[in-house]
Amino acid sequence: MFAARRAAQRTFAARLYSTESPKKSLKELVAELRSHADVSPIEAGQALKASDMDVSRALLWLCNFRAESAVKKAAKVEGREANEGMIGTAVLSPGATSAKPSGVRAAMVELNCETDFVARNDLFAQLLDDIAHTAAFMSEPADSDKFFHPFSLDVLRDAPLLSKTAPEKNGKSTVADAMRDLTGRVGEKISLRRVLTVVRDPFPPSQRDIALRIASRVHQSVNNPRQGRVGNLAVLALKSPQLANILGPEAFQADLNKLCLSLGNQIIGFPTTSVRSPTGARDEEGALYDQPFAMFAGEGNDQPVQTFLRNWAAQRGLVESSEQEGGLEVLEFAKWTVAESI
Amino acid sequence: MFRPQLASRAVSRRLAGSRAASYSSSTCSRTLLRNPTRVVPPTFSHAKVGWVSRRSHYVDGLSSKYNRAKPHLNIGTIGHVDHGKTTLTAAITKVLAEQGGAMFRDYSEIDKAPEEKARGITINSAHVEYESANRHYGHIDCPGHADYIKNMITGAAQMDGAIIVVSALDGQMPQTREHLLLARQVGVKKLVVFINKIDQVEDEEMLELVDMEMRDLLSTYNFDGENTPIIMGSALAALQGQTPKIGREKILELVKACDEWLEIPPRDLDKPFLLPIEEVFSITGRGTVATGRNERGVCHKGDEVEIVGYGARIKTTLSGIEMFKKELDRGEAGDNMGVLLRGIKREQITRGQVVAAPGTIKSVSKFQAQIYILTKDEGGRYTPFTESYSPQLFVRTADITCKLGWPEGVADAAEKMVMPGDNVEMTCTLRKDVAAEIGTRFTLREGGRTVGTGIITKIIDYA
Ligand SMILES: Nc1nc2c(ncn2[C@@H]2O[C@H](COP(=O)(O)OP(=O)(O)O)[C@@H](O)[C@H]2O)c(=O)[nH]1
Ligand SMILES: [Mg+2]
Repeated sequence: MFAARRAAQRTFAARLYSTESPKKSLKELVAELRSHADVSPIEAGQALKASDMDVSRALLWLCNFRAESAVKKAAKVEGREANEGMIGTAVLSPGATSAKPSGVRAAMVELNCETDFVARNDLFAQLLDDIAHTAAFMSEPADSDKFFHPFSLDVLRDAPLLSKTAPEKNGKSTVADAMRDLTGRVGEKISLRRVLTVVRDPFPPSQRDIALRIASRVHQSVNNPRQGRVGNLAVLALKSPQLANILGPEAFQADLNKLCLSLGNQIIGFPTTSVRSPTGARDEEGALYDQPFAMFAGEGNDQPVQTFLRNWAAQRGLVESSEQEGGLEVLEFAKWTVAESI
Repeated sequence: MFRPQLASRAVSRRLAGSRAASYSSSTCSRTLLRNPTRVVPPTFSHAKVGWVSRRSHYVDGLSSKYNRAKPHLNIGTIGHVDHGKTTLTAAITKVLAEQGGAMFRDYSEIDKAPEEKARGITINSAHVEYESANRHYGHIDCPGHADYIKNMITGAAQMDGAIIVVSALDGQMPQTREHLLLARQVGVKKLVVFINKIDQVEDEEMLELVDMEMRDLLSTYNFDGENTPIIMGSALAALQGQTPKIGREKILELVKACDEWLEIPPRDLDKPFLLPIEEVFSITGRGTVATGRNERGVCHKGDEVEIVGYGARIKTTLSGIEMFKKELDRGEAGDNMGVLLRGIKREQITRGQVVAAPGTIKSVSKFQAQIYILTKDEGGRYTPFTESYSPQLFVRTADITCKLGWPEGVADAAEKMVMPGDNVEMTCTLRKDVAAEIGTRFTLREGGRTVGTGIITKIIDYA
């Protein structure tokens, strides 16, 4: 180490000799460069050496270097497997959160990397957040019975990356560029596995007795509460002639929020595969409506989810009695676990 | 006087304990050598093998190639994918094998990180062992964060130190933060850094920058950045037997740095005396006897001791020590023994309490812990749970109902769910207080099956 330091000093002295202005040491220049750009000292050192120790040229050099090395790294990791990562959710518009009619807009994304160390890192979380936001933002309302639609991975990769948290960067790079950039930073393969979105416009005035609501829930998150190793989006429908009056009050919204969280937990926590049992059969394990609502913290959690929802709706005046259909229904849900086989 | 009781207990336990015995030898052997008390599952205390076989397992159940007299240390490699952890691990065994301190383990052997079971829990990790002039090392290399955590919780390979591997080409990366946080979380206090792949770096000044950067980063995460040894070399050169100056010699330097910088945890024998009480009986004419397996330290006839737990803190004296039908003056860690307690009535003490050197352990009623919840394939629960779940907590010989909760400040605590397979940090509120401290391991059971296993990270309330 000392030898290295001496050698460094020697080269440095030689450099000093050939220029007039008194120069700063490499360490000082590195510190200066790092105050302008988020780079490691070694990258800073490389940049300075390649730019005759000029800080502003080094900054330019870094930009190009980053892009180039990201391309190289991405090519290197191309053939590897990425079996870690996170499921990210983005809910731009959750639907019925007040008396005002409102549509729904949300997305769920699986982004993969190679180790759970990287999946826990903030840079990864930020990218996933932005990709989920982009997908939810770009989706068009679909005219179909189904609510969830896969979003084309190719379209998304070429889309400009939109960020909810850092909008000043919007459109500077595509989703694919940003993924490659992350590969450049963390040295792991970063890949997009699947994306789905749900988008509906508000119902027309003739249908003011219906509203939709998105319930989103994740499990095993690290720092970002919208991401986890398991993710779930569900679409709920509320139907009542009194809807506008019922949706308004805060107490109702608090109840509805709690219910949405519990439904999310229920779907994730049990091997839930469908909302209802196939007609004729009774599938207590896989059908949400036939499962005891164990994940609801409070009274009634021994009832099957369907019974519970009916009672819940009747108690809050959505329907006149719990015998009636309507009130509150779970229409559809999607549940993903990182790296599960699909 | 109390010999017959002890002997017959041992026999009945041996008869009852065949299941527990096979569990022990198939899953715990590696750790038993290091620190038998760390891993003993609670089943041992119910159905125990005779102490004779236990002891011989402790001493001989290991590969006999190594000199067990050397102090033992568990370490692991942590670093980015591709920076050379596996190559370095193989290189260490290769270089030390030349000196007879290891068996060479090929790259491909280590790279697979086989799935293994520790206390019934599946962990991916590769193990090697080697020895330097004055130490014996167990060394793990795991693919991910979750595996290191499981190793810590189960005690399968509690790391006492770690080698952070960083490629000189890349220097630190964003996830180095996660590596250092992990090291902290699993209780590693000191690190050694190996800057790898220096064969690829021509510019020595650059290496100096990497050195500087690593020291900064270590200090940021509360490690001793200034004094941490940083060794620069090429694991690949060492493994291939080329350029000894950056290969073999650097590996030797690295091992030397581990020898000198990483600290050996105190041996069980050197810790204060502690005997978890398994059974209590009274012997007419002599008094009350507590039996159990000495977990740590040494006790002598005539020592002052304290009985701690279940609301008690009773001072007394060891008026007799008996082991394997012999009266002795002294008992030590690992021994199965009975102690005669002066002036204590049979009803005053019970299984689950401990007999300990005075003032060395307190009784706790609430603590925080890192817990792993077993999957159903591991024999655990099928369903999730939320706050207030109340399983049975087994610690040493104690069996107590406890209530799980989230530490203060956890967002949406009321709705937060725990699923089989999760690693969580939770609080445990005990129905009855028990002798415990930071680092004490326990299991959670429900209806006779183990649903979780944990290690205490913080004491919240003392009894
Ligand atoms: N040039 C060079 N390559 C190395 C060195 N050490 C490891 N490698 C290579 O780096 C790659 C990744 O190494 P590996 O040990 O698998 O990294 P791990 O993912 O951290 O376990 C392999 O191709 C190794 O041959 C070194 O000192 N010099
Ligand atoms: Mg490896």
